[in-house]
Amino acid sequence: MSRVDVLNGNQAAAIGASLARPGVIAAYPITPQTPIVEYLTQFKVDGKIDSAMSEVESELSAMSVLTGASLAGSRTFTATSSQGLALMYEPYFRASTLRLPIVMAIVNREMISPQTLWGGPQDSLTIRDAGWIQIYVEDNQEILDMMIQAYKIAEDKNVLLPINICYDGFYLSHMSERVEIPAQELVDKFLPEYEPEHIKLDPKKPMAVDPLTSGYLLMEYRYRHLAAQQEALKVIEEVDKEYADLIGRSHGGLVEEYRCEDADCVVVTMGSMSGAAKEAVDIKREEGYKIGLLRLRVVRPFPSKRISEVLKGKNCFGVVDRNVSFGWNTGILYQEVNSAMYRHGGDVPSVPFIGGLGGEDVKIEHFLHAIEKIYEGAADGVDCEQTIWLTNER
Amino acid sequence: MKFKSKYIVPVGADGIYEIDTGKWRTERPVMDKDKCIECGICAMYCPVFSIIKEDEKYIITYDYCKGCGICVHECPKDAIDMIPEEGK
Amino acid sequence: MKAIDLVSKTEELISPGISACVGCNVELSLRVVMRVLGPNTILAVPPGCMGGVGVVGWDMKSGAKVPVFFPLLDNPASMLAGIKLHYDRLGEDVNVVAFAGDGATVDAGFQCLSGAAERGDKIIYICYDNEGYMNTGYQRSGSTTKGAWTSTTPVNKEGIGGKMQNKKDFPMIMAMHDIPYMATANPAYVQDMVNKIEKAKQVDNGLAYIHIFNPCITGWGVKSEESIEVARLAVQSNFAPLYEVENGNFKLNMNPRNPKPVKEYLQKIKKFSHLTDEDIEELQADTDKKWNRLVNLASL
Repeated sequence: MSRVDVLNGNQAAAIGASLARPGVIAAYPITPQTPIVEYLTQFKVDGKIDSAMSEVESELSAMSVLTGASLAGSRTFTATSSQGLALMYEPYFRASTLRLPIVMAIVNREMISPQTLWGGPQDSLTIRDAGWIQIYVEDNQEILDMMIQAYKIAEDKNVLLPINICYDGFYLSHMSERVEIPAQELVDKFLPEYEPEHIKLDPKKPMAVDPLTSGYLLMEYRYRHLAAQQEALKVIEEVDKEYADLIGRSHGGLVEEYRCEDADCVVVTMGSMSGAAKEAVDIKREEGYKIGLLRLRVVRPFPSKRISEVLKGKNCFGVVDRNVSFGWNTGILYQEVNSAMYRHGGDVPSVPFIGGLGGEDVKIEHFLHAIEKIYEGAADGVDCEQTIWLTNER
Repeated sequence: MKFKSKYIVPVGADGIYEIDTGKWRTERPVMDKDKCIECGICAMYCPVFSIIKEDEKYIITYDYCKGCGICVHECPKDAIDMIPEEGK
Repeated sequence: MKAIDLVSKTEELISPGISACVGCNVELSLRVVMRVLGPNTILAVPPGCMGGVGVVGWDMKSGAKVPVFFPLLDNPASMLAGIKLHYDRLGEDVNVVAFAGDGATVDAGFQCLSGAAERGDKIIYICYDNEGYMNTGYQRSGSTTKGAWTSTTPVNKEGIGGKMQNKKDFPMIMAMHDIPYMATANPAYVQDMVNKIEKAKQVDNGLAYIHIFNPCITGWGVKSEESIEVARLAVQSNFAPLYEVENGNFKLNMNPRNPKPVKEYLQKIKKFSHLTDEDIEELQADTDKKWNRLVNLASL
């Protein structure tokens, strides 16, 4: 039987991952991800899961243990944040280039320096080009649902890629919400067992993994990897539909559109701040602004066509980034969305915003201000070299 | 793209990769069976396992022998000599 | 298993033609290890000499008849731990083995190895210690002997230079992890090596570690035919003693009644050719100190 509980984001992630019945779990604690490791070890000692678990000595080993386990044929799970993800980078890149469908929750946390603990997706966005699928969610229900969907997407025969489910540290990880937990039988029905055919370390069928490889072959493998990322665009939408049919919830697939249909301007957001942004959109709608919201869910593969379809023909849009792209004087998503627009012929003026770094709150007032600026841009044109910073007075 | 590999990932599953290391040799070890006592020490130390045992006798094979001379050096009976490979 | 029977009674599991240097005793050690372990083995060969010479294969071909892979330089033990967790959970018995150089073991891979040892991951970890990064052109490692020339501890025309620091006593470090089995081995003592691989294979309650001392022909400046002799001298001089530690109990496998002077070992090796008598005395004193410590541990 499905049930309802009050869960924080980390509980939602741990329960979601458990429902997928991973064979091997390895994780190393780091704020704000730590409770996930505690929950999972508790599930194990309570006999609620039968996964093999490794309390590794670092994140480098967490990803390395999973790489080995996945190569042997296990379904796997880990979770990390910021510095832990950075330490993991070497096996992280390799997990994708070996096409291992590992699932990792990333509890987004700002990168140091300065020394910080608080939320922000700088950690995972910085390594968006390491070959993984990256999905960013808004609330705890979406965390739990996407943990389950993640395996279905990653293990799809046309995809076979590792996947990150990313959510904001503290804002979601430590906030409690009503979450519906699907019954194990339903999840089992949704998610068949993982049986790798493309790569496996098995004495019964010996093969070498990663022989020294010539450039022309490396190019073939990269070509196929890129193609798999593009396939994932379809698969993510299909899995979202299948999940909705069986379990009863859809999260929009590649993007979430909020009051976009008749909008003349759009504010683009990602992650937990989207809640405040939607409230700001509602307030502005009351005032007569035809503003809409586009929430990015999938950063890799980047749904450029889908995004351009939403934004094309609008008078102006703004992107609120909770991260920076050093060297561009904007956030990362601003660059990504603009690339998508130019690729698909949508020449719409756009305003870059940066806010909420280091866990700073991005409030409704910030979005009200941002929406005003987007309309100013629509009327007067935009100097897109000038990022607008959304800060809190102290 | 035209693919040479039928795999989607870098795996080696199309047989065993071998180098023709026998061609490296400048000298070859030759066993004097009058002196050999079939102790097997030469075979035990051959890094390439090129000395094999057939009908209770040790014989040197040359397909992969790199001509290192360990067998000559380790033989307790001085029963193996290195002789130059022709043309090298 | 008798060492003398390896050639006739075991199966070769490594490609017969790998591009290891002429006379390489690491190639010998690897072939011995794999012949003893047999086909029910998954082999990790991190970047280093044995990876470089083709043991993991080339393009779409494998360099071994068993499942073989490149772990990263810094994660062999962790990757193996994951593989073992998978097979243990299924109740399938498989030897999961690393054959790693000293760079991947005592330096970059140490954190993962130490973690796996502490957690009791049931893997076999074999280090071939050729005292440096030989595959990339003989750079120093934490395992290089004090005084030795390497390409990153060069020696000038006046004979001044070489590594300034002591060799990390890595077998002892592993023994102090209180793992069920730790042993040193040497390619000149094949029977001893075979016995130790067989013991490591039997360990079912944690990590088994074997540290093989492998003088490097090319990087150290050793005559190829003297490959085994130099390795033997390291044992006969107590420079690289053969011992094992089973469940905390130290045992000497070789206790030379009249150990040879370390000088006899050193003078066979070009990387030590610049050492003064004083330098050699220092290495002798260090060897004696470590040997006495070992004898004391073995008499407990």
